[in-house]
Amino acid sequence: MIAVKGLRKTFTTHIKEPGLAGSLRALVKRETVTKEALKSVDLEIQQGEIIGLIGANGAGKTTLVKILAGIVHPTAGEATVLGFKPWERNNEYRRQMCLIMGQKAQVWWDLPALDSFLLLKEIYQIDDRLYRENVEFLAETLMVKDHLKTQVRKLSLGERMKVELMAALLHRPRVIFLDEPTIGLDLSAQKAVREFLKSYQREFRPVTILTSHYMEDIKELCPRIVIMKEGSFVYDGPLAEVQRMLGDEKCLSVTTRERTFKFTIARTELAARTAEIFAQNDVLDLNIQDPSIEDVIESIMKNGTAL
Amino acid sequence: MEFRLDFTFRIVMDLIYYAVNIAFFKVLFLHTELIGGWTSEQMMVFVASYLLVDAVNMTVFSTNMWWLPFYINRGELDYYLTRPVSPLFFLSLREFAANSFVNLLVAMGIFIYAIANFSGPWGLANLAGLILLLINGVLIYYCIQMLMIIPVFWTQSARGFVDLFYTVGIAMERPDRIYRGWLRIFFTVIMPFALIASYPSRVFIEGFDREVLLHLTTVSSGLWFVMLGIWKRGLRNYASASS
Repeated sequence: MIAVKGLRKTFTTHIKEPGLAGSLRALVKRETVTKEALKSVDLEIQQGEIIGLIGANGAGKTTLVKILAGIVHPTAGEATVLGFKPWERNNEYRRQMCLIMGQKAQVWWDLPALDSFLLLKEIYQIDDRLYRENVEFLAETLMVKDHLKTQVRKLSLGERMKVELMAALLHRPRVIFLDEPTIGLDLSAQKAVREFLKSYQREFRPVTILTSHYMEDIKELCPRIVIMKEGSFVYDGPLAEVQRMLGDEKCLSVTTRERTFKFTIARTELAARTAEIFAQNDVLDLNIQDPSIEDVIESIMKNGTAL
Repeated sequence: MEFRLDFTFRIVMDLIYYAVNIAFFKVLFLHTELIGGWTSEQMMVFVASYLLVDAVNMTVFSTNMWWLPFYINRGELDYYLTRPVSPLFFLSLREFAANSFVNLLVAMGIFIYAIANFSGPWGLANLAGLILLLINGVLIYYCIQMLMIIPVFWTQSARGFVDLFYTVGIAMERPDRIYRGWLRIFFTVIMPFALIASYPSRVFIEGFDREVLLHLTTVSSGLWFVMLGIWKRGLRNYASASS
């Protein structure tokens, strides 16, 4: 469904020193920097699959998503989604796709959601029956029935995000790009959005790419993850595998009278090292744990490999 | 239609603009019989024509054209680019200016008055031709304006270009016969402001002329394709600043 090969994107930006002097200098002689937002990435995603795209800010996640959604042209490389080149912006493609950005509102701010939906109904040429069914179904599962006639700007952030999700899914897209859908939401709203996405995925089996900084989102929704670092993929595989990569590591946390320290050791050394620690320190507390997924992913993001 | 006082004020402003334009030529005609080959009455047809084009533009396009550079610069085109509709169409006709609609009615009134007071010979064909060509004029005006906005994709701000558009745009409000030499080529081909209302008025006043019509069709369609081409190139360069 989604096939990406050797996709690259570079941005050229101008830099200037701060202040008036810097501005004047930049007027005469400009310095440019070229930033490689994507350095030749490859990716295959099948129907019904949902993948989690993670990485630090500026790692290239959003750029990748924007290319696949047809907003940005790539510098080089190939990509097809449902057989279409996204940046050619074929209407047939756009009718089957949606992009949800947690940071950018898409429903009309000053209008009740239902009015925005009517506009979308026209834009996507959704037939009356499907439209009614979908509004009914989505409002029900997202529990926003009572908010659809209120001006969007009067809704809480959580309610607004749910309305955004509704708006994006009205035409029942086969490809969904979700860019940080839970950003800024409180825990219960996050949970509601996650539960919704999970059941939606189960029911309609779209291809979904989800980017998020909340590990909970990823753990709940994505059996497969792709980790990005500085425009490249450093990991692409099952989430469970990440945990197994560290199956033979243990995290130790030791509290002595003076301080608390943490470190990671191989499972085989566990007995010897703990004995050593007890012998050399006045231990108050000792904790042995498996490394958490968060730790592992953070380490992959930072070092490019696991620990 | 958000604020009542503002709403009324904008209408009054435009009415003053109409009055000044008409008065300008009326005063000139106190001192001379002909301007650019036209009598006072013929001139009124022309003035009414460009006021009408201006009113249509203000009602349909102006608000959208005002916002477009900001959308491009701040990466808010994303919404329009992901919808299965032509983004150019969507962005150009997104918002309708209700206050200008009142002025559009007034401009129509002036137009009807000017035609009714025109004593020269004219037939329905002339009137139909004039109206069609004025619609074409609205499109020309739109194209030139877009051409001044599209550079935002590269420059990030189009203040200079848009100012240029409004300054040079006054050329639309003068009969084309006053331009000669290079200036004539500029205003009839490169930035064809003379084709918006002046050429159409000539068709009404002086009858159909093959050369004039040929010129109008070639330049209008050329301009349209150039605009679409550059718009496409601009979109290729769209960086979608953002989150």
